[in-house]
Order: sequence, then C-alpha cells, then structure tokens
Amino acid sequence: MSSYIVRRLIMMIPVVILISIIVFFIIQLPPGDFISGYAAKMTTSGEVMDEAALKLLRESYGLDQAWYVQYGKWIWGMISKGDFGYSLNYNRPVSSIIGQYMSLTLVVSIISMLFTYAVSIPIGIFSAVRQYSIADYIFTAFGFIGMATPNFLMAIILMYLSYVYVGDPMLGLFSPEFIDAAWTYAKFVDFFKHMIIPVIVIGLGSTAELIRVMRAQMLDEMDKPYMLTARSKGLSERRIIMKYPVRAAINPIVSTLGWSLTAVFTGSTITAIVLNLPLQGPVMYRALLSQDMYLAGTWLLFMAVCIVLGTLISDILLVWLDPRIRMRKGM
Amino acid sequence: MSKKLGLASAVLLLAMTAIMGCTANNNAAPTNSESASPSESVSPSASPSASTAGSGDYKEAPMLQELVKAGTLPAVDQRLPVKADVMIEPVFESIGKYGGEWRNPWNGPDDKWGIEMMTEEPMFRFKQDGSGVEPNVAKSVDVNADSTEFVIHLRQGMKWSDGMPFTADDVVFYWEHMLIPETFGKALYDCYYSIDPATGEKERAEVTKVDDYSVKVAFKHSSVQFLERLTIDNKWFFAPAHYYKTILPEFIGEDKALEVAKEYGFADTKTLGQWTGYYYWLYPQRPTLRPWVATNDATGNRFIMERNPYYFKTDAEGQQLPYMDRIVLDKMQDPSHKLVETLAGNVDISQFSFADYTVLKENEQKGGYRVIPWTTPNWSSTGVQLNQTAEDPKLRKLFQDIRFREALSVAVDRNEVSEIITSGVGVPAQAAVPASLPGHQDGWDKQWTEFDAAKAEKLFDEIGLKWDGNHKYRTFDDGSNLSLLIYEEKGSDDEKFIELLRKYYDQAGIKTELKIVDQGSYFDLKYANKIPVAVKTVSLVDVALRPDELVPLRVITPWFGHYGLYTSSGGKEGVKPEGDVALILEYWDKVKSAKSKEEITKWSNEIIKLHQKNQWMIGYTAATPYLTVVKNNVKNVPALVNADEFRGIGIAHPQQFYFE
Repeated sequence: MSSYIVRRLIMMIPVVILISIIVFFIIQLPPGDFISGYAAKMTTSGEVMDEAALKLLRESYGLDQAWYVQYGKWIWGMISKGDFGYSLNYNRPVSSIIGQYMSLTLVVSIISMLFTYAVSIPIGIFSAVRQYSIADYIFTAFGFIGMATPNFLMAIILMYLSYVYVGDPMLGLFSPEFIDAAWTYAKFVDFFKHMIIPVIVIGLGSTAELIRVMRAQMLDEMDKPYMLTARSKGLSERRIIMKYPVRAAINPIVSTLGWSLTAVFTGSTITAIVLNLPLQGPVMYRALLSQDMYLAGTWLLFMAVCIVLGTLISDILLVWLDPRIRMRKGM
Repeated sequence: MSKKLGLASAVLLLAMTAIMGCTANNNAAPTNSESASPSESVSPSASPSASTAGSGDYKEAPMLQELVKAGTLPAVDQRLPVKADVMIEPVFESIGKYGGEWRNPWNGPDDKWGIEMMTEEPMFRFKQDGSGVEPNVAKSVDVNADSTEFVIHLRQGMKWSDGMPFTADDVVFYWEHMLIPETFGKALYDCYYSIDPATGEKERAEVTKVDDYSVKVAFKHSSVQFLERLTIDNKWFFAPAHYYKTILPEFIGEDKALEVAKEYGFADTKTLGQWTGYYYWLYPQRPTLRPWVATNDATGNRFIMERNPYYFKTDAEGQQLPYMDRIVLDKMQDPSHKLVETLAGNVDISQFSFADYTVLKENEQKGGYRVIPWTTPNWSSTGVQLNQTAEDPKLRKLFQDIRFREALSVAVDRNEVSEIITSGVGVPAQAAVPASLPGHQDGWDKQWTEFDAAKAEKLFDEIGLKWDGNHKYRTFDDGSNLSLLIYEEKGSDDEKFIELLRKYYDQAGIKTELKIVDQGSYFDLKYANKIPVAVKTVSLVDVALRPDELVPLRVITPWFGHYGLYTSSGGKEGVKPEGDVALILEYWDKVKSAKSKEEITKWSNEIIKLHQKNQWMIGYTAATPYLTVVKNNVKNVPALVNADEFRGIGIAHPQQFYFE
C-alpha cells in the first residue's frame, strides 16, 4: 500500500511541472498584458499614461521579458525561496493574498459541502427505498430544478427576496459593523445569517446532483441477490439498507470526494461575485482577467496540485472502503 | 470572571463615549441656526479672512477631545495653523455637527482615484463656479507682471497628519527629490515648463525656498496659466520630507530601503517609490494634509479613512473640520453591488452614471436618499468618433471627407435616440461645447441635427459611394466592400445605443460590424491605431487647461488616432497632421506661449471653432447629468459640475458634509 502511494506521489511531479508551464503560457496568450488593462483603468480615472510611463511600468514589473524568462524566474523563486512572486494587482506577495482569503473560503466551502452531503445522501436513500412515492416525486422535481437553475441566478433570486422582505440584500459575509470586529456571539449570529444564502446557493447544485446519483446507485443495488439473502436471514429492513446497498452505492460519491478538494479551496466563483463574498474565487477570476500572472499562475498551479492529490486520496479511500478493489489490486 | 469584568468596563466606556458624544453635539447644535445665514454669504474665495470666529476658541470632534484629555494629542489650537492662517471653509447650507461614518463602497484599490478626489487637498483648487483657481493648501500667491515669477505663501504653523510642521522645505523636497528624479514614475509635468515664443522650446522652471513659509517658482518665459495647470497636472505640489527621508534609498541606502519595501509588501524600492509617492493616500504610514487619512490596508475587505487631527480648516464658528469621523469603504466586487446597497439605504453619499437614473429614482423613497443631478462637461451623451487616421487608406479618405460625417449625422433620428437611450433627458443635439463652458458657440448644437435620409443619400452619392448588387449596402467607388467596424469597450453600457445606431446606419446603406473587447485590449488597439469607429464622447472644461481630447498631443482620443503619436514621438512615428488638424496644433502652440489670458482665450476659441467646422465627433443627444446620491440625513451637499478637472465630488468640499 505505502509503496503504491509513494509511486503515485513521484508520478505527480512531472505532471505538476507540465501543468505549470501550460498554465503560465496560457495566461499570457490573450492580447495585451497586465499593464495595458491597468493603464486603461487609470486613464478612465483621469491619470496621464503616456508611452514613457507605460514603458517604465513594464520594466519595473519585468513584463518586457519573454514569457519563458518570467516563468523561469517565477519557478526558481518558488523552489529556492518558497517565494510565489508578487501580485501585480495588489502589489503584494502572492502568498499573503492567498492567505488573506483562505480561512473564510475554507469555512464557507466546508459548511456548504457538509450541507450538501447531509441533505443529499439521506434524501437519495429515501427516494430509492420509496421509489415512485409522492415524496420521491417531490424530491425528484426539486432535484431537477436545482440542477437546472444556474447558481448565480438562484443567488440573484434569493438576494431579491431578501431585499424585498428583509430590506437588506445580505451581500457579503458580515454586516458592516462586524467586518472588523473580533469574534463575538453577535458576530457569529450575523455571520450565520449571511451564510444562509451562500450555503443554499452553492450547495444546491451539487445537492441535486448527488441525490440523483445516490438514488440511481441505490436502485441498482436493491435488486441484487444479496438483498434477498439478507432479507431471508430475517434482518430488519433498516439494517439491510444501511449495511449493504448504501455501502455499495456510496462508492461513486467517495471516488469524486477528492475532486471536490479544489472546490473547497476556491469557493465558488460566480456565486461569490454575485453575493460579494470575500472568497478566493473572485480574486482568481480578477487575476485571470487582468493577466496578473503570478497570482493566477500560483493559484492554477495550486489547483492542479489539489486535483492530483485529490485523485490519489479518492483512490486510497476507495481501496479502504471497498474490499473488492483491494482484492483486485492485490493489496 | 476577568472576562466579565472586561466586558462590563467596555460597556461602561461605550456608554460614556456615547453620552459625551451627545453632549458635545448638543453644545454645537444651538449655535447652528445663528450663524447659518452669514456663512452662506461667504463667497468661496479663500482669502484667509483674519476675522476668525469668536475669540479663537476652536472646537474639535468629540473623538479628538478624548485623546486630548488622555494626553495623547496636543490641544486643538496647537494643532491648527496660527490664527490668521487657518482656512475657513464656507459651508453650503448650514454649520454642521460632528460625527458619523460616511459609508461609500468601492472596488478596492482600483478605485483609488474616487477616494482620492473625495479627500484631496491641492495647493490650489478650482472655485466652485469653475471660474478659476483659488489658494487651498497655499495661503496666497504673488505673481509678477509678466507671469514669470510665482511666490507661493504657505500657512504658518500648519502640520502634517502626524503632527510634523509643513513648511517650504516640503515643497522644495518634493521638487528636488521626487519630481525631478521621477521617484514616483511620472515624467515632470508640463505645467513646470515655459515655452519660448520664438523657438517653441521648453524651459524647465526653478523652484527655490524664499523663507520657511514661501516658495518661489520662476520661469524663463511667461507662464500665464501656471496656477491652473498646476491645479490640473500636479495638484499636490508638496510631500512630507521627514517621512520620505526614512524610506527612500537616496537617504537610507538601497539595502535598508529594500527592507522597508518588503515591510510594505513591495517587491523592490522602485515600486515603493512609485506607490507611496503617487498613490500615497492609500498608505497609513504616509502623513498627508487631507481631511481623512488612511488607517488600514487598502487591499482588505474594508478600508477606513479617519479624520486628520491636524487638518488645517475650520468652519466659520471655529469648529475644526471635517465634520464626519470616518469614510468607510467596503469592497464590492461588482458595480451593481454598490447600486443594490444604495437602494437598500446602506450608502451615504455616492455617485452614479445616468444609466442608473430610473432605478435610483424608483427607490428614492424606500432607500431614504435623494438624487442630486450634477451637470457634466460632456459634449454629448451619445457620441461617435471616426478615426481620422484609420489604417485602411480608403476608409481614411472617407472619414476625412466632411460630407461623410454630415451624412452619418443626419441619417439618424435624434428624437428616437433621445427617447430610447436617455429617456428624453438628453435632448437631440449635435456634439458641441455645452452652454456655460468656455468656448461655447451659439447654434453649434443644432448643426446637422435634422433627420433627413434623403440628404444622407445625396451626400453619399456626391462622395462617390456606389450601391452593391442588391442595392442594400454602399460600396467604395471601385466597388470594394465598405463596412464600419465599431469597437465597444466592455462594461461601457453602450449596447443599446450601438444597436440603435447600427439600425440607422444600416437603413442608410452603411454596413457596420461590432466588436466588443475588454478595457485593456481596447487600450492596446487604440495605441496600434486599429479602431476605426469608436462610440465615445469627449469631456473637458476648457481646452486651454486640458487639451488632450481636442488637440492631438498623444494617443488617447479615438478621433485623432495616430496624429497624436506623431506629436508625442516628435514626428518619428504616427501620421503627419494635415489641414485643419495641423492648424489645431499650430493654435495650441500659440496657447502655450501666450503672454496674456486674452491671447489664451482667443486661440483656444479658434481651436474650438475648427472643431465646430469639422465636427470630427458626431453627437446625437446632449449630455445627461451625473447622479450624486445622498441619504436624506446628510447635509451640505450642493449640485455642481462633475468634471475630472474639478475633482469630481471633491469640488463640493466633502469636509463640510455632515449628518443631521
């Protein structure tokens, strides 16, 4: 088992390096660079940006060099000093920006992930066991609506309702008076109130999907002969369901668990923009738009590492969960 | 137990401050009504009237009073300049009272100019009626007869926001160590050069210290407009020497400066100089003269600017300004968030473009705010510019043909544009200098405005444009395809207008294409001369003060394309201006080397007249107002002109805004 993990870890290295090169190259593909966008913005605000000023800016940010030179410097800084470079947008080290948004991103993502699992797995099981019951139809209908509605649209609808009925669109994660305050009970309550919309919106899409997956898997398993065996043994229905088909049906969910690692670290992007949440997603989105390549590059690289790692974690989890896989791999 | 005690004492403290705040406000309140009328009559000329209110007993904000009592801050009369040099800021409606937070969301440091304008304290500032400049940070100025020597007097005893004295040394330091060596990454501003009328050569000014509170700026040739140009080019003609001596490599060595740069989060000392030197108001460490100063990291989710205890202005009753305690800028990722928050009543004072007029008006009652329309110096609200140096030679010839511009102008029904695009607020009109601005020409806004499809057709025929096989679209006279490529900048809110425009051009037989690009690409395309047709207007108060949009001096305004590059590169690149465009540049040289205001007015008028004759920018409807949205409990917000030259909302003097 451990030799398998080590082998997988070593294989990750060339993959990540390749990804980093592609990422850095692609970020710079669109016409123009960070400075042209920045200069355009400052010109609209009335600042004078002539050729000389542009040249000076490009030089000071090192944008006058070829992309592979910039890439080399970036990677070298990362390997030799653990320095991920400077964000052009923020004029600050990339690591400090990512750090600034990390904790809230993790909180929001993990809560919405827990919400997703807590809601979808029981409902999935229930609608499989009570297939074609009224409740199943209702859940199915909700599931389809949830899957078909884009997250951001749902966010806008909920914001509108909140504005009309509560008088506050509930933007952000805190009310203004709590943004800078230390954590208190009142701040926690406020945070909780502001979390309702994001969690529902971010969670709903995947909840609907998971319900469907869970239900389909369950239905597959329920016809299996081992169910008949278990029943003939006289086990209670509840035990049968929880012990056999659920365990088998949860496989596809576990195998995708690792992939959600990236989602956990990014937080959702479009929803976060619509709701003005201070998460990583919007920061990254802006970095990509403005070609702030060290920030965007570091981030995409980080995502790549997460995906590779996540796949590994999923595999390990599956092996642990499902004896059939363990046997086949001979571990 | 100790926790409980701490909480209790905190509550007690809070209650105490609240009570003290109330009493302080009560003290100030009764005097309001008495002085309201005389203060209104004070004209906004900044002649430092020696008659300060009362016995020189100044009043200060409760939050500062606390600090004085605690002994951490000197008394208010020691913080203000000497009595005769305190600047008394006239209030718009009534004497205000202290307190409150001005909530005004922003988009983070990208919006730095917005907060800059709100808090700006320039050496000289434009008067509220726009008729010229008046001293602001400066106390007064002496100008000699031929406008070659300007002696700027400063205020005695005035202090930076950290309490250090502000003197002539700070001006000379700024000149010698920041402007000349280009520490903050900008070339020395044009206003510091005088022009030799004979040769047209530029001569740099000399800046010297006369005494602790006066500085002399000496030019070789007359520089009639130096003060106005200074106010536009280099608003803050000073910098805290004592601060920069602790961070710039020149003074502390490259290694030490790099350490400082890293501390601030910058990669190198160059960026440190650029950002703390130019965008200085974002850095809490950097002392300023502004009414509010930065208190925390501007890249965070909430940027707070707090009152400057050493601010040099009072109201007519000796209350030290500003009235409001803080400006609170919450970060919003999308402009629509600011709108939504405003509708919900969570924004105190903010500005919006006309596009949001309807929704703001609809929710006025619910949001508890009022919409104050400000005028703008825009020539039009729906403008089209044809690049006179378009890359394609056939297109360039066509665009330079005045008949083509006239045809495009009369091919559109302006009434419909006015109704659909501006809800009728922007009346049908040609792009022209608005009334009340220098250079206004009678009747210009009626030039080529009558909707007349037959006339357009006739003009196209005269130019020699042929019809294609289906008699649907015009072609060049050699039968080759004619199509106007319109570029739209993403986020410019012009979709509806462009759609309408294309419909009318289409009807007139002119094929159009539309490409939407982001701001950065648009900027690059402009530099590469790749934009044939742009949907943009121009906005300026006076061509003599800000010529960029009307005189091709550098690449910026789409209509003159690479004529601008020709001037800025000294004739090495770009397209050589000919005809009336060359004439504009000639007149501009005359403006620059003028010896009197009359001469300047005369030649700038000539430039405007050439614009009237040629109508390089076509406009379909007159300018629409810019919207200043103010909560009902905020007072002293006037309706003025919103122009970059006047620093946006800054000209309303935000330090005298207050909460009722």
